[in-house]
Amino acid sequence: MSRSLVKFAAIILVIAALLYVGVYGLDFTDKYRIPGITDSDGITQGLDLKGGTVIVFRAATTDPSEEDMDNVVNLLRRRLDFQGYTEASVTMQGSNKVRVEIPDVQDSDTAVETLGATAQLEFKDANGNTIMTGSEVTNASSEYGQTEQGISRSSYYISMEFTPEGQQKFSEATKTAAAAASSNMNYITIEMDGNVLTAPRVHEQIDSDSCIITGEFTADEASALAANIKSGQLPFSLAVDEVKVVSATLGEEALSKAITAGIIGLILVLLFMLLIYRLQGLMADFALMFYIAVVLILLANFHINITLPGIAGIILAIGMAVDANVVIFERVKEELKLGKTVRSAVDAGFNRALSAVIDSNVTTIISAIILWWLGTGTIKGFGITLLMGIVVSMISAIFVTRFLLKQMIGMNVKNTWLYGLNKSDLSSESVKGGKA
Amino acid sequence: MFDIVQKKWVFFGISIVLCLISIVSLIFRGFNLDTDFSGGIALTYEVKGEDFSTEDMSAIVSEALGAGKSASSVQKSGDDVIIKVGYDKDITDEERTEFSNTVRDSITTALEEKFGKAEYDSAAAAEPEEDEAEAAAAIASSEPDASAEPDASAEPATAAAAATQAPTAGGNLVSGVRLSSMDDISPSSGRELARSALWMSLLACAAILLYVTFRFEFTSGCVAVLALAHDVLILLGIYSILQISVNINFIAAVLTVLGYTIVIMDRIRENTRNSRKESYGEIANNSIWQTMTRSINTTITTLLTIGMVFIIGVASIKAFALPIIIGIVIGFFSSVFITGPLWATWRDSAVTAKRAAAGNGKSKSKKK
Repeated sequence: MSRSLVKFAAIILVIAALLYVGVYGLDFTDKYRIPGITDSDGITQGLDLKGGTVIVFRAATTDPSEEDMDNVVNLLRRRLDFQGYTEASVTMQGSNKVRVEIPDVQDSDTAVETLGATAQLEFKDANGNTIMTGSEVTNASSEYGQTEQGISRSSYYISMEFTPEGQQKFSEATKTAAAAASSNMNYITIEMDGNVLTAPRVHEQIDSDSCIITGEFTADEASALAANIKSGQLPFSLAVDEVKVVSATLGEEALSKAITAGIIGLILVLLFMLLIYRLQGLMADFALMFYIAVVLILLANFHINITLPGIAGIILAIGMAVDANVVIFERVKEELKLGKTVRSAVDAGFNRALSAVIDSNVTTIISAIILWWLGTGTIKGFGITLLMGIVVSMISAIFVTRFLLKQMIGMNVKNTWLYGLNKSDLSSESVKGGKA
Repeated sequence: MFDIVQKKWVFFGISIVLCLISIVSLIFRGFNLDTDFSGGIALTYEVKGEDFSTEDMSAIVSEALGAGKSASSVQKSGDDVIIKVGYDKDITDEERTEFSNTVRDSITTALEEKFGKAEYDSAAAAEPEEDEAEAAAAIASSEPDASAEPDASAEPATAAAAATQAPTAGGNLVSGVRLSSMDDISPSSGRELARSALWMSLLACAAILLYVTFRFEFTSGCVAVLALAHDVLILLGIYSILQISVNINFIAAVLTVLGYTIVIMDRIRENTRNSRKESYGEIANNSIWQTMTRSINTTITTLLTIGMVFIIGVASIKAFALPIIIGIVIGFFSSVFITGPLWATWRDSAVTAKRAAAGNGKSKSKKK
């Protein structure tokens, strides 16, 4: 008996500890921390909660190649970084669409304009005449090393390579530019979409298939510049297929209301289980708290993108989580009615209900996987949380509840009333056992 | 105990009537497809300080749009109003962008005229202006030879323009209107989403049919999928009759509540295995009653949680919770009153058919 009590107390403590970690996080050492959901970066909020802009671009061409689409994705990502939106995400959607999600930005018009522009990389002389375009640059990379003879200091610089045509155009342009050194007009600007990326000075004619641009670049600046020059321009123009804008306040309200709904729903379910299934219900309630703790820890540590439907999925899974216990407990009751001892009734109940629990959950798991796999946006978020919720709940309903009930029986708590049986159930036993 | 299987025609009757009503409504009334399937613009405004009715809103919107156009739907939810405007089917990309901007601007202006411009109780939350400035600074600093360079001030200006006129500033709205969300979806994108929703549904049905057939037997698989199709049909029917808009969330919700009939199948399987003398009808009826409490209790717990979401949540999550709630209720009906009797009927008729085919009526209608 005492042994069961210790085990029982231990698992309750574990559940309490997990709940604490799930909510507040845990510092392992100074260096490592398990985040909880109340951490500032605990919940990875989807754009429908956080507020922001989603733009779906479609390639305005039939059957774009995979390579082109990859280029588009990279280019858009760079443009976003360039604008300082480092938290923005760019993903492929289907074979010809790109989904851009920019948190905190509500001005979709400007975002559409700056992102969707067919980037035009142009080399211009000091008078603004176009010398050549990005298509004549074959490669650009950032490098580090000595740039001039006699100077031992190393620095970052950008190395460019040209097509033969580009080489010739560049050679002519540098010749003219170098000649204009006296009037301080000896530079060539490199512009993307009309924005000046860099304006290096030209000291002499460069007739080569490659050249370098030097300056006081930091490593990041140099690689960003090289990437911009290299990415050149969009292989085709982009049409805007979808624009979604959500204000941060709407998301905030939605989140707080959903959390309130979740907590009230949870309390109702806890009470319901306790009232209907008594002691077994109480164990199921502990298991449900275990489920909540595990879900919180998973959400905070795997940075699962939480969308509004995703929260609905988690809350729905609370209701579904106890389904497994309902199925099992009903079975235990039936076994008790047949006159079995509490111990064997619980064992039989769990064993026999297992197949029903698994089968009914698998069908929902199938749906959740399909939604996660084929869905986009918020639906994907719903699929992943639903999937997580069902799997965790099934495990907790089967293993945690069973373990707790075993300890109860070990402590000699065997009053059948506590296991949900009423006196009338026992007297009607013979009727049920016979012909139906 | 009440014999559900014997009274099966009552329930089949209810079911058939509901399905017929649904089909008729689907044919004649059709769906109210939400903008994410049909393409269009959905604008959500928060209105504070003055009450309004949806009729007033519709009138304002029609007037703002002019040219005989009107909103395809106007919904009110607390202080929020959701206004949807559809696109013409063959609109081009350029026309569409222009149209959506015009729609947004003209409705916003009209509402501001009526309810006043947005006023907030605190200074508007920090706008991303800083980031813009930093980005601009980064561009400028990457230019070597900073001395006599070409006009660099030109592009910080374009970058800074990004921060102006965000339609939705932060802070709490005290009075006036504010645009709190906008969804703009092209017709082609909508069609694509509808297609993918259909694929997801079919794939889920096929996968569940496969799984149930594999775990149980083919009759159970067919019955489960039939029940599932029945649930979806009635759910669609209700949405069609009430003209509630159907969107992608609806599909997700429907897929979620598909698996509710399985527990009865499980019990039927077990009882078939153990039975010697009962008919299929008796097996089905026993199974239904043995799982009745579970069916009821599970329905209650699920409704408790998702019901709370429906009662407390904001408009968009309400729209998500509603089909789940209706789906659970229909699922309860069909899992209790339809699947068991249907299974028994199917099995019995298969036995009768076999007997007729064999020609010599051996009285072996029990286990196979």
